Amino acid sequence: MSTSAEPGDSFVAFVKQGCETCQMLDDVLGRIAGQYPITVYTQDDPSFPTSVSAIDDTSLEKSFSFDVEAVPTLVRVKNGREVSRTFGWHRDDWQAMTGLGDLGSNLPLMRPGCGSKSREPGVYDALRAKYGKLDFKSRPIVLGEWDDEFEATYDRGWSDGLPVVPPTDTRILRMLDGTSRRSDEIIGNVPPNLAPITVEKIAINAVMAGCRPEYMPVILTALEAALDPLFTMHGLLCTTCFSGPIIVVNGPIAREIGMNSGINCLGQGNRANATIGRAVQLIIRNVGGGRPGELDRAVLGGPGKYTFCFAEDESDPTWQTLASSRGIDPGKNAVTLFQGDGIQGFLDQRSRTPEELTKSLAMSLLAVGHYKLCEFTNAMLVLVPEHYGIFRDAGWDRDRITSELHKAMVRPGKDVIQGAHGVGEGIAVGRRDEMVNKFWPEGLLIVQAGGKAGLFSAICAGWTGGRFREESKPVTKEIVL
Amino acid sequence: MKDGIMLRDPTAETSSALRDRVPPFDTLEDRTVALMDIGKMRGDEFIDRLEQLCSERGISTRRYKKPTNTRVAPREMINDIADNCQAVIIALSDCGSCTSCSTHDLNDLDKKGLAGVSVLTTEFEQAFESQKSSIGLDAASVYVEHPLQNKTTEELHRSAESAFDDILRAISIEVPSLHTSKAA
Repeated sequence: MSTSAEPGDSFVAFVKQGCETCQMLDDVLGRIAGQYPITVYTQDDPSFPTSVSAIDDTSLEKSFSFDVEAVPTLVRVKNGREVSRTFGWHRDDWQAMTGLGDLGSNLPLMRPGCGSKSREPGVYDALRAKYGKLDFKSRPIVLGEWDDEFEATYDRGWSDGLPVVPPTDTRILRMLDGTSRRSDEIIGNVPPNLAPITVEKIAINAVMAGCRPEYMPVILTALEAALDPLFTMHGLLCTTCFSGPIIVVNGPIAREIGMNSGINCLGQGNRANATIGRAVQLIIRNVGGGRPGELDRAVLGGPGKYTFCFAEDESDPTWQTLASSRGIDPGKNAVTLFQGDGIQGFLDQRSRTPEELTKSLAMSLLAVGHYKLCEFTNAMLVLVPEHYGIFRDAGWDRDRITSELHKAMVRPGKDVIQGAHGVGEGIAVGRRDEMVNKFWPEGLLIVQAGGKAGLFSAICAGWTGGRFREESKPVTKEIVL
Repeated sequence: MKDGIMLRDPTAETSSALRDRVPPFDTLEDRTVALMDIGKMRGDEFIDRLEQLCSERGISTRRYKKPTNTRVAPREMINDIADNCQAVIIALSDCGSCTSCSTHDLNDLDKKGLAGVSVLTTEFEQAFESQKSSIGLDAASVYVEHPLQNKTTEELHRSAESAFDDILRAISIEVPSLHTSKAA
């Protein structure tokens, strides 16, 4: 505590009527006002306190600018600068600051105050947006007084067809709190227009997608993976095929942010699953300019192009996670982006041995893209716990399952060449005498997810860009917090 | 118009904050132009003359009248215009509410693929610009002298005549003259 007040000093106090300690200090404030110039700001009731006239600060502008955390707060000002402050009621402090030795001598020695209204949940962000120093670079779009902000986002073409959360400064500030990265950091160039994207633009689109700030590290990494040239996001966006990025999240962050890896994890109902995938798609649309009918030329598209994001079930220690199988240390957070379509259900409630199940899965996997096309797309198999249990109980791990599946899908070229069995589609006729794999050795990704009951796994066909084996691949990236 | 909520642009900002409007057609030949009377007093006299001028130049038109200038056009009217016309001239806004409502009508018809233009009085240029920006459409406008309510019918007709070519240019690159039109 600094030395007590001198002539020429003044005081500023912040109070609210709803605080019992502030009520207790009504006379104390009057006593100070009798000795020094004092400006009292009241946060809730302009008629409080009664002992001295107060300035209405229900807007909380002054409380914000003085960075008040609790009421009552007493600030001593000398030559226009704050020299000391105290909050709550500590009689000795108040007496020392004011030099009034008998100030509040009839009051208890100490009483805690209450939280400042400017620090209530949600309020501080709104005050930062309204009264704080903002350094946003994105163009402000001012709507009319009576305009509907949701309609305005549609009118401007910012939506994927579903309502978006209007990106106000308050919401963007909150979203940026979810990352330690600078808002002006450029993450990459977003196709198809190859427009540079900053963390700020990512936050704006994440707000619109409905994300929470704690999703930001996942979104940022997912976008970095999407912008890795190996992921060929440019082609994936512009393609006439159905595909889009399928995002699989691994690591503790998936559980921390409440992602679903269980019942209905490929479906609706989970905010993180739904909005992280959507944020990436909105960024492609809004920053990249990838809009359907313009440069997005999908002949049919698919529902996964709204969002397709889920977490892997990591609860079974016998299962090596997707991220771990792709070079990420176990226990680390990571995203894997796969260029894929919607799901093809795999129904098998009869297989009891791993051998039976492998043959059965191979039959369905052979249908990916086209039964007679080979090494033409990749595929993602989402293996549900009950199907995995058949492999696990026989001692089969990820590597064994993967290699057995590949083996079960090798076919004589003569059966799948163009024209074979009366079907024009197929592989090149010159491969007639080869034994042909369905997928590249690294082209079958297996993820374990889903509810504990139900022998219904899912196959996500890969994009046709996967036929260029070295040019277009799924990408896995560690999430750096 | 007062400002409302402020949003931040989520795009790369490589283009205008306003959505491009449906561009003018190369020609109005074989197309029908909706003449939408916003329902404000005296607007019908102005549109009467526009209708005559269109007819003299061989431009096919359909006439519509909103029940009131103080609301946006009924859905049925918007759909009827979209079903039967390819371009629209909306006239004549000389007040705040009709400027706002008619700009929304213009936006609705633009989204249905019609090339459109709004005719307003000079006093409402700023209001139109403001409404354009809050709707987000780079809408076309032509201004005639304000005020109009105290003008004679002849004066309103002269106003329509002098604005006519500008109005047509907003919806068609080729502006038919009396000499080249079918009617001539």
